[in-house]
Amino acid sequence: MSQFRRITATALSASLVFSGMAYAAPSALIGTEQVAAAVAPAAQPESRARLLGTLERADLVATLEARGVSVSDVRSRVDALTDAEATQLMAQIDQAPAGADIVGVLFTIFIILLVTDILGLTKVFPFTRAVR
Amino acid sequence: MTVRRRAPRCWRTGAALWLAAAAILPGCALLADPPQTAALRMAAPADLPPRFERDEVPFFPQTPLHCGPAALATALADVGLPADIAALSEAVFLPAREGSLQIEMLSGARRQGGVATRLPGELTALMREVAAGHAVVVLLNLGLDFAPRWHYAVVVGYDLPAGELILRSGTERRDFLSLRTFEFTWARGGRWAIAVLPPGGLPVTALEADAVDGALGYGRVGAPAQTARAWGAVRQRWPVNLVAAMGLGNALHAAGDLAGAARAFEDAAQQHDSAAAWNNLARTRDSLGDRGGAREAATRAVARAQLAEPQWLPQALQTQRELEPKAP
Repeated sequence: MSQFRRITATALSASLVFSGMAYAAPSALIGTEQVAAAVAPAAQPESRARLLGTLERADLVATLEARGVSVSDVRSRVDALTDAEATQLMAQIDQAPAGADIVGVLFTIFIILLVTDILGLTKVFPFTRAVR
Repeated sequence: MTVRRRAPRCWRTGAALWLAAAAILPGCALLADPPQTAALRMAAPADLPPRFERDEVPFFPQTPLHCGPAALATALADVGLPADIAALSEAVFLPAREGSLQIEMLSGARRQGGVATRLPGELTALMREVAAGHAVVVLLNLGLDFAPRWHYAVVVGYDLPAGELILRSGTERRDFLSLRTFEFTWARGGRWAIAVLPPGGLPVTALEADAVDGALGYGRVGAPAQTARAWGAVRQRWPVNLVAAMGLGNALHAAGDLAGAARAFEDAAQQHDSAAAWNNLARTRDSLGDRGGAREAATRAVARAQLAEPQWLPQALQTQRELEPKAP
């Protein structure tokens, strides 16, 4: 029974992984993303990585799940990315800016931001107005 | 509002001291305008209306952390696409980062049926989009590099004489931000801006590569007929773009319009002598019942692949093999 389960699980996860691939290359035509990757400037270091899209996607699913994305959403989130985007997201997921509109500031940073707000360099506090 | 007006005056008296202290350190650079703002103050583009505000853009006040979904909802609702904050949060919010990443803002928009296209990092580009009737989603770093405060907002208007931008931002329906402060905070966020339009529309200032990326991304989730519209718009503006022609052909093929697909592949094949285009043309002609034309295209695909595009050789040879007359 457990062997049956293992086989079913393997088949299911394989079909999930390859469902994205089937989408990218319909009916034996050469896919648009493949063409785009081929015409991209050769200097682009990611163009090689683009070919690894399918493997990257499985990794990305696990990476997003580890960062709190629910299992039911993660597939469609990853499927909506192009190969280039998936590669980029995988590489930057912990460094890229995350628009969040919140900041935990220490007092010194609070003072600095207050000054820069007044100078019009930043806009952290709703009560400040730039001098010019 | 009165609080907002009164508070700065208090700060302004104290500000002189801070200002003196802060200005000594890095010189007077802090008080200078950033480059694009300075250029706009010197001379605004003549073809740009001096002030413009799109008051009709809807407003979704954000809850804490969810400025990304709120900004996306604003842009989507503005073009009549579904803008459900809960669904958008599921699509873009990343719990561990307590925010939304730029790449997922693009994919989140396309999952609701919008083509998200990057805009050039120029203030004038944002204003041109607003004047053309498009809402512009921007990423700002409201804080500093070492103490970032990332924030998504939507530019809906500008006032050049007053030197201000008008944004749907946070819980403010009309947030006025001076051009100077906007440019500083925008530059600190990498000058990232996107427009979200239904397939078939294109931002007026989009660069060719960004328009291609937008349609390419939309093709991941869009229905074939809609994807064909997106590529059609790119192709109309850049008629000799190979990826756009291939995208149009592939989308039309997937939508069942084989004759239209053949036309797009024919154009791409003739303009670029691309092995991929010849290959897809061969397949499409075969599906249309044109065996002779299909073989001819397959021969061109193999020839071109052997000559200059080896990456398509396996597919081209496969196509040629499948089109060979079967031995009795």
